[in-house]
Order: sequence, then C-alpha cells, then structure tokens
Amino acid sequence: MSHSEYNYSEFVVSKEEFADFAVHAPKVTMRAPSFPLEDLATGETVQMSELWASGVAVVEFGSFT
Amino acid sequence: MATGSMDDLADRFAGRAVRSAFIYTREAHPGENYRHHRSMDDKRRNARAYLEHSKVRRQILLDDFEGTAHRAYGVLPNMTWIIGRGGMIHYKSAWTSAADVADALENVLDFQVNRAKKQWVAFYSERSAWSTRDMAQFKAGLERAGPQAVADYQRMLETNKAARAAPTEDIGPRIPGNFYKTEGESGQR
Repeated sequence: MSHSEYNYSEFVVSKEEFADFAVHAPKVTMRAPSFPLEDLATGETVQMSELWASGVAVVEFGSFT
Repeated sequence: MATGSMDDLADRFAGRAVRSAFIYTREAHPGENYRHHRSMDDKRRNARAYLEHSKVRRQILLDDFEGTAHRAYGVLPNMTWIIGRGGMIHYKSAWTSAADVADALENVLDFQVNRAKKQWVAFYSERSAWSTRDMAQFKAGLERAGPQAVADYQRMLETNKAARAAPTEDIGPRIPGNFYKTEGESGQR
C-alpha cells in the first residue's frame, strides 16, 4: 500500500478490511509488534513497546475525523 | 469515538499500572476542513486540532506517514488493543467501547496479579462486543470535517443499504465487523 493509498482523500468502505482484521491482524496471545511513534506533545520518538514495558497498556487507534 | 469515556477509563486504571495511549492514524473521514494527510505536518496539525477539540488527556502518539503501526495492527479506523507486560496481546477489538475495554482490562489485571499464585495460563478466546452509537455526535463530526466527508459517508450508506439491514431483532443493525449471515445469505438452506 503506497502512502497515497493509505492516506486516502475520499472515504470508501473496504468490504474486506474488517474480515482481514479478524483473520490476519495479530491475534490475542501473540506478541504485540512495536514501532517508533512520535509523541505529539514533545516531538520525541517513543518506541511503542515502552507502553507495556512496566505494566498493561491500553492502545486506541483513531483520528479527528 | 468515545474520547471522554476512554480518558475516564485511563484515569480510573492509572493507579493499577495501566498506561493508556491514543495512536493517531490517517483521517478516517477526510473533508475540506480536515483533509487527508499529505505530510507529517498535516498529521501533526490535525492531531493538535483533535487534542484541542476533544480535550484528550491521554498521551497522543503519531504513527508515521505511511501508517506502519496502524497497518500492522489491522488498519481499522478506531480499534483498541490491550497489551500485557511482556508484550502479550490480551484484547483486540475492531471498534472501541470503553465499557467493553474496562471489562476486559479487569480480567487482564486479574490474570497478571494471580497467574503465578494460581498457576493460571492464558489461552486464545473470542467473543462479540457491542456499544451504543451516538449518531448525532458522529454526524456532527462529519460536518466538522467538511461537506465531502458528509457526502462520502452518505454515498457509502446508500451503496450498502441492503447489506446493513438487520435480519432479525436478535442480530441488530449490521455494521462493519459484524460478520453474521442468514442461511439465505450464506447459501445454506
């Protein structure tokens, strides 16, 4: 998926994406993948795994729209 | 999104070594006022607008421009995950319901505290979840994004009208992530 495909300009429902989530996204009991993220407040890079390094992490994905 | 209630959940569980974060993704419903991201600066700008509007108290983390983390976790617009110490995924949800997350979180914390003492072992399980939908708030969000966001969503509703119809009261309205099919729809008679 190119960045222009990912950052679509028009909302179109993908009929497969929810089924793909159920089947192909990481499953419960698997190890959570980690990626570098940018802290909005500080601009610093945070490794996603830092969120669960010392306890349980609740991670919500979303956007303003 | 139920921003307030997820922030309340974060506050309620913070004292039990639970860290909550909001990962900012691509715009789910881009419009003239809040456009799709053409750069990380666009993403930062929209995320700051979200913070200012919704008064989010949790840490907001930006995914990269290509949506690397978002795509790895399934690319859905508003999913929530619970991950335990050590990185084991305990909960994976297509949509976000603070009540459902809280229920799952209590189970996870119970497991984390007791697993050594009671020799509990974790295993895979699935269940359905549900939440109320504040359509007035959702429509206000689309209008805030811009006329294109409203039009795109309306077009989707009209295109998928038949598929979203509830077959029975027991099943309820079908939304993305509800895979139920009647015997007729699944070809089983």
